[in-house]
Amino acid sequence: MMQTILIVEDDHKIAELLQSYIVKYGYHVIVTTDFEHVLQQFQQEQPDLVLLDVNLPSYDGYYWCRQIRTHSICPVIFISARAGEMDQIMALENGADDYITKPFDYGIVMAKIRSHLRRAYGEYASKHEEIILHKEGLSLYPERLELHYNHQSVLLTKKEADIIESLIERHPRVASREALLEKLWDDQTYVDENTLNVNITRVRKKFLDLGLIDALETVRGIGYRLHVSWSKDTSL
Amino acid sequence: MKLFFKEHLLLIVIQIIQFSVVMVIYWLDGYRHAGPALYSIMLGLFLLSGYLAYQYYSRRQYYRRLQEPLLSLDQAPIAEALEQLLRQQYRYYQQQLVTIQQQQQEHLTFMNQWVHQMKTPLSVIELTVQNVDEPEFASIREELERMSSGLNTILYMARLRTFEQDFHIRMISLSEVIREVVQDHKRLFIRNQVYPDVQIKDGDLWTESDQKWLFFMLSQLIINAVKYSTPTHHKVIISSSIQQNQAIIEVQDYGVGIPASDIKRVFEPFFTGENGRRFRESTGMGLYLTREASQRLNHRLEIESTIDVGTTVRIIFPSYQRKD
Repeated sequence: MMQTILIVEDDHKIAELLQSYIVKYGYHVIVTTDFEHVLQQFQQEQPDLVLLDVNLPSYDGYYWCRQIRTHSICPVIFISARAGEMDQIMALENGADDYITKPFDYGIVMAKIRSHLRRAYGEYASKHEEIILHKEGLSLYPERLELHYNHQSVLLTKKEADIIESLIERHPRVASREALLEKLWDDQTYVDENTLNVNITRVRKKFLDLGLIDALETVRGIGYRLHVSWSKDTSL
Repeated sequence: MKLFFKEHLLLIVIQIIQFSVVMVIYWLDGYRHAGPALYSIMLGLFLLSGYLAYQYYSRRQYYRRLQEPLLSLDQAPIAEALEQLLRQQYRYYQQQLVTIQQQQQEHLTFMNQWVHQMKTPLSVIELTVQNVDEPEFASIREELERMSSGLNTILYMARLRTFEQDFHIRMISLSEVIREVVQDHKRLFIRNQVYPDVQIKDGDLWTESDQKWLFFMLSQLIINAVKYSTPTHHKVIISSSIQQNQAIIEVQDYGVGIPASDIKRVFEPFFTGENGRRFRESTGMGLYLTREASQRLNHRLEIESTIDVGTTVRIIFPSYQRKD
């Protein structure tokens, strides 16, 4: 069963961008076009989560949030340009579950959507399929932190998995050092050039363990590229 | 006359006290003749009244004028005309003042709305760019961040005026704020190849502050530290600790430093100084806003700098709690 997300945003570009992004993660996304009858649409579609803009034509987001609240307890996340403390308080007092300020990042929107869906409907409500990345017989399991090749497998650390994931996604292009650093940098640890170098060395070693020689190519001054040296029969 | 008397009442009282003190001392010393005593008092009072009379006559015009209402400048027609004119002028300036205040208010409201409206197009560009994973787009993103931080500065500038309605004091964890701000400037660090070294000393310190403003202040300090470290130095130390029984947040860089001639003025609005001319995009507003906010929040701000050695800025919180 696919979960449904309703986007109520009067800037159609933002709405479309959000829609196309969220769809990729396996959700059914509906975008409102009729801002006079948001509640009716809500009742028709019965979404599992609502993304709601504050500034809307005719009635504002607060109003619709209150209306939705009289019928449903489904998670509502506000999206707004106003970052003031009062605006956030207003949103929460009108029944919203969370608040995102413009300009925002896809990552944050996705993380918030997921966490609210999980909170509201439980961890296993959505049939989540494990993500596997394939490249020329090489398979990365980012959630298990494993790398498989030719019936062999190695365990990875989170950082190594992140690097390999970027390399596979970028292939055959170069993954820049900056992009890799950004990916490795998480809440608790701040990485620097050294951390990246150390982890690149480790990734090389992991590739070697799988019998892949020169799989990771350094592009001087730019970054790294996955070098598919192992598959003779298929070209890029 | 009344005003004059009021103003000199204290003088008269002190004189009388003086007379009695002198008399009492002589009396206690054993000199007990009423005649000369009374005579000397009479003499004293006479001199005092002489002085007061002189004062009053020499300044009576002045006193009289002060007590009379503005209305009656004089009865002569020319005086009345002048008075009329003065009143008109006064009313005119009052009106001017109101108009200008209104205009300024409108302007502020307009700026505020405009900034918020700009955020939607920024979001659209930002989202579009995030979809494309190419190096050219990284540069667009960089410019976007610059625009968005510029817009934020305007918003904070506007908020400064309505600070009393805008802030919300509560207990805040310094380590948490540091973590959030560093996280928020992740791309800035990476792009400039400067890396934060976060040192949480003396445990988790909590202090009373406004979350949003503290975030803004620390952001400004970090942006400066990164800007003036590039490209030669790669480390910025951000720490929280207790010094002299006060909680402090310290941002230290090893960058170009601030010339001694400039350091006193860095908190002035629009001041960019030597470094502002050498590096791009100094508005001279960052540190000004930081100081204004810190004064309103009752935090102290300290800055130390040596050319080519680096700069250290501290936010000092007079009270704190420690939670381990």
